[in-house]
Amino acid sequence: MKHGARAALLLALCLGLRCARADEAFVANQSSDDLTIVDLAAMKPVATLSIGGKPAGVAVARDGSRAYVTSPDGKFVSVIDARERKVIKRLSISGGPLGVAVAPDGKHIYVAELFRRRLVEIDPESEKTRDVEVGAMPSGVALTPDGRFVIVADRDDNALSIVDAASFVRVATVSVGRHPFGIVIDAQGQRAYTANVESDDVSVVDLAARKTIASIPVGKRPYSVALAQGRGFVADQYSESVSVFDAAAMAPVSRIKVGEYPESVATSRDGNMIYVTNWFSNELWSIDAKALKVVAKATTGDGPRAFGAFIRAAD
Amino acid sequence: MSFAPARNVLFATALLLLPAAALAAHGTTPLKVVETMDIDAQPAKVWAIVADFQNWTWLPGVSKIEGSGGATPDQAKRRLSLNNGVVVEESLTKFDAERMSLGYHVDSVDLKRLPATNYSVIVTVKAAEGGKSNVEWKGRFYRGYPNANPPPELSDEVAEKAVTELHKASLAALKARVETQ
Repeated sequence: MKHGARAALLLALCLGLRCARADEAFVANQSSDDLTIVDLAAMKPVATLSIGGKPAGVAVARDGSRAYVTSPDGKFVSVIDARERKVIKRLSISGGPLGVAVAPDGKHIYVAELFRRRLVEIDPESEKTRDVEVGAMPSGVALTPDGRFVIVADRDDNALSIVDAASFVRVATVSVGRHPFGIVIDAQGQRAYTANVESDDVSVVDLAARKTIASIPVGKRPYSVALAQGRGFVADQYSESVSVFDAAAMAPVSRIKVGEYPESVATSRDGNMIYVTNWFSNELWSIDAKALKVVAKATTGDGPRAFGAFIRAAD
Repeated sequence: MSFAPARNVLFATALLLLPAAALAAHGTTPLKVVETMDIDAQPAKVWAIVADFQNWTWLPGVSKIEGSGGATPDQAKRRLSLNNGVVVEESLTKFDAERMSLGYHVDSVDLKRLPATNYSVIVTVKAAEGGKSNVEWKGRFYRGYPNANPPPELSDEVAEKAVTELHKASLAALKARVETQ
């Protein structure tokens, strides 16, 4: 849809009893210590929240009520009322909290502590925690859609940890490429995909068999991966591209040139758009996931990371 | 500052305490340094010198450069021999003639020379007023200590200061190279 049409649709929605919001990106800016909220219909920043502690990881709850932002240097997680655009509280975390994910029911969050080989489960309401040992330098975190398993990319072990969410026990590890960082799981909960920073590829992991079934070559220094339209989209930091692969064929499709040092990719909830943060050039770019073309650019704060599921769905 | 090693006894002690394997890893927060300088020459003239990746002998403290792969990203590599005998290896990560921008990664990690790891650079030549150029020298790196609670000589601040000085010196050398041509 063209921007004008989107704006008109938004206006029409606003004539109802409650002004509905477009999809939004919650972009954690590590260098400027804040969070930019970008209206994705207009591709314009609509709010900036002060965060502190060099924020990097982001996870937005499926229902759009909360966003969680990790600050590895500050050693805390900020709990944000995503609708009100306000920081509600900070949860202290030892080590270096980086990767974060929210359970599908929104009741727990999972935080990887980079320096302590731990995955921490937190109930953000009661602030009760449990933790489990995982591998070295745990980075990206994702949950299966049924919420049964938490998958962690153990960067310096070149492996994934599979943690049973109910018992909170590590039930398996799976070898992947070198230095897995970002991780995403498909909607069926069958496959996990990791972006492997040092081997310049994506590992495809069969979650039932608990083994890597393919590796797909991508650009230089891939940091994160997202899925849409039966394809994978990978942010290649040094190549300054988004590599696209076919998920069924597990083979490369094309590469899209983006801004400087792309870090994090995420998908709109309708699967039509891909969003990528560009760390060096301080921008969020949108890409049409079907046409594989850059659509628009928005300015963020300094050093946008937004590592994780940083899109808040329209309500 | 040149590429010469920092003279810091405390620092050398800290290095001994670092496990060798830890040097391969890095911390959580990539650091960013952006320095710019106006150069009194047409952008095309400045870019011609920057684009000659294998011939940056104008860099301060560099005595010799050997390399291969020309200016093709992911193939081009160069070895800078410094006046003090240290060798620094670098790989070209991008080359964009249209945007007059190139990037490279510093493959050699030597914390005595530069207290930063995973250090990469983007150099961009932009048009400024009056037919002049503005050159941007940007770095991305991590501090020298990969884990939490770094010793003071391997902190974020120390890394930022060292890289900032290096970028300023490199820009000044480029300016001198262009303006005295």
